Parts: sequence; C-alpha cells; structure tokens
Amino acid sequence: MKLAIDETRCKGCNLCTKVCPYKIFREGKKPNRRGIVVPELDRPERCANCRLQKLYGRRLCGICELTCPDQAIHWVEEEPYEPHKVAIEY
Amino acid sequence: MTFEDWFRKDRLPHIFCAGCGNGTIINCTLAAVDQMDWKKEETVFVSGIGCSSRAPGYIMTDSLHTTHGRALAFATGVKMANRKLNVVVFTGDGDLAAIGGNHFIHACRRNIDMTVVCMNNQIYGMTGGQGSPTTPRGYLSTTTPYGSAEPAFDLCDLAIAAGANYVARWTSYHVKELEKAVLAGLQTPGLSFIEAMTQCPTNFGRRNKFRQVADQVEFLKKHSLLKVKRDRLLLENKEVPADMFVVGELVRRSRPAMGVSP
Ligand SMILES: Cc1ncc(C[n+]2csc(CCOP(=O)(O)OP(=O)(O)O)c2C)c(N)n1
Ligand code: SF4
Ligand code: SF4
Ligand code: SF4
Ligand SMILES: [Mg+2]
Repeated sequence: MKLAIDETRCKGCNLCTKVCPYKIFREGKKPNRRGIVVPELDRPERCANCRLQKLYGRRLCGICELTCPDQAIHWVEEEPYEPHKVAIEY
Repeated sequence: MTFEDWFRKDRLPHIFCAGCGNGTIINCTLAAVDQMDWKKEETVFVSGIGCSSRAPGYIMTDSLHTTHGRALAFATGVKMANRKLNVVVFTGDGDLAAIGGNHFIHACRRNIDMTVVCMNNQIYGMTGGQGSPTTPRGYLSTTTPYGSAEPAFDLCDLAIAAGANYVARWTSYHVKELEKAVLAGLQTPGLSFIEAMTQCPTNFGRRNKFRQVADQVEFLKKHSLLKVKRDRLLLENKEVPADMFVVGELVRRSRPAMGVSP
C-alpha cells in the first residue's frame, strides 16, 4: 500500500504534520495549481499502514486519515507490488 | 467498507475553511457508524443550521438539514414515525445550546434512541464569530470584544442532569477516542450525547491568538483533563483547574428510553 495526499481535496492546514508518530508529513514549500501548499511525504514507506495493512487485513494506525479534515489522505494499491527497504528509527 | 464509503464523494471537497475541525468530527462519526452494520437506507442524519450542521449534506444517506436549533425536534419526529431508522444528529454549540436549548433538554429527558454529536467550536462560526453559550470566559468574539464576561455552559453536565443514557466528551485531537465514544453512543439505547470540542480557525482561532490551525488543536489537547484524573483530584481533595474541561466517558446508564427499535 502506498500513502497519498489527494491534491484536489487538501486545503494545506498542516494538521497531518502534527499527528503522525513517524513525522511522515512535512510542511510543503510550493503552492500547487490551486494555490495550496500541500504537505510533502518523507519516506512514506515507513507508515505502519503501508507496511502492515496487507498482513493484518485491517487498517492500522490511520490517525492521519481520521484527522485530515478534508478527507485528502488515503492509500493506493501498488501494482505490481514493489518491495521496499524500510529503516525505522525508534 | 471504510468511513470513506459513507461520503458523497461528488460533494467533496466540502465548504469548511482550511483546518476546520468539523471534517475531523465527521470522519470519526462515520468511522463509528461504519462499524455498526447499518444499512444506508435505514440510517438518517439530521442537523440544524450552522457550519457544523452542513455535515449531513456530505453523507450518502437520507438526511434532514432543518431549521436553526430544531435538529432534535425533527429527529424526534423521524424516530417516532419509524423506530427502525437509525438516527444520528449533527449539531453545533449555538444550534444545540442557544436557540435549541429547550429541545436539547427535552430530548435528553425523553431519552429518545438517537446519537447526538455536537461540534462545539465555542462560537457561532457560520454567521461570523458571535459569542455562543459555550464561549469560555475571557475569550474574544464579535459580540464579546472585551472578552466574554459570562460563564460557559457545560453541555455534558446539562445532558447528564436532563437524563441522557450515554454522555462523553472528547476533542478533535483525540480522534480514536472520539470514534470509540461515538460507537459506544450508537450502541447504547436511548439518547447518546457526544460533545466534540473542535477548532474554528476562522472565527475563534483568529480572534484569540491562535496563529496556526494546529495551535488551537494543541490548546484543546492541553486543556483536556481525563475523567480518571479529575476523579483522582476530587478524591484527594485537590483543586480541579478551572480552565480545563473533562474528557472521557461521563455517563453510561439505562434509564427507560423512547423509540428503541423492537
Ligand atoms: C431562526 C434563526 N436565527 C438565526 C439564524 C442565524 N444563524 C445561522 S447559523 C447561526 C449560529 C450557528 O452556530 P453553531 O450552531 O455553533 O454552528 P457553527 O457555525 O459554529 O458550526 C445563527 C445564529 C438562523 N439561520 N435562523
Ligand atoms: S491534514 Fe489533510 S488537508 Fe490538512 S494539510 Fe494534511 S492532507 Fe492537507
Ligand atoms: S497511518 Fe499513522 S503512521 Fe501512517 S502516515 Fe498516517 S499517522 Fe503516520
Ligand atoms: S467558520 Fe469556523 S466552523 Fe465555519 S467552516 Fe470556517 S472554521 Fe469551520
Ligand atoms: Mg459553533
């Protein structure tokens, strides 16, 4: 699974940058076509849900998705599945 | 299914301002509804007037967007006409506690089987930031330019005193806890009241020195006092900080309820 921000919905409030335990969301720098500064993803493959949703068969963590007031955060299937090397700092 | 499937995707993005907590509260409520095995055809969302009350318009079920303060009166009608329907009410602090105050008291007294989610942003958001009955003392709004001089309403205390079967309070920061509380509310027969403290960056935050959206969320987080901690303070005869609000499950009981599906 791959984490993604829907640029057509995001309003750039940056709440996601505060709630992710891995600090995957970082404040963006450039406004997009709609004039909104969408956050950037820092090594999104570290996300618990990206790594483990398939294994557990349910949504894991998901704090960013619930918090995002604009329903902009979601996961997309990766086809064909690309294995990632994931380094997680504790 | 996930909570995303309950949204009317053709209606998104919604009209709420950037960083408005209403979207978060809708997510948490729908995440709870999604766990109930309810059919969309048998679920009705009802609301009054206000930014918060626009919520049902983004949800893929039948809904009633009614008149200011009257969400509970309409919801009562729905439930009395057909008790098989699952009724969830979205309301705001102004809608519920100011103009709709009496409906709130009597819906709790009758203990009608529905779940009421109040998005309490402590302000009239939609009409430009007038003070509401829940604007805390000392805070600025267009009608309290020197800071509100009145004590604020504690909506949960009101619901408990009036007889609701389930009462809980959380904030837009506590998303998982809020989801669980709404789920407990949906499962409890009788009136369940969940107060979700939330940010209104445009009309509350901007006037009260919260420069970023996250600052007001941080404020809500810092000022929430877990019920277990409050109870411990009371037990030890220590003072409960006056500027904090209690969060957690405040009441769960089984008074006789109306409109429970047979
Ligand atoms: C009978 C009536 N009186 C007044 C209004 C104007 N009005 C619209 S929304 C609102 C306040 C809404 O406040 P709240 O319920 O807290 O919702 P919020 O916008 O903060 O989410 C008022 C006074 C109205 N629409 N109808
Ligand atoms: S929380 Fe949602 S709307 Fe806000 S910046 Fe992040 S992705 Fe965008
Ligand atoms: S699901 Fe959790 S770990 Fe993954 S990006 Fe969201 S907040 Fe971070
Ligand atoms: S005015 Fe306040 S409550 Fe209304 S949409 Fe904007 S931020 Fe939300
Ligand atoms: Mg309000």
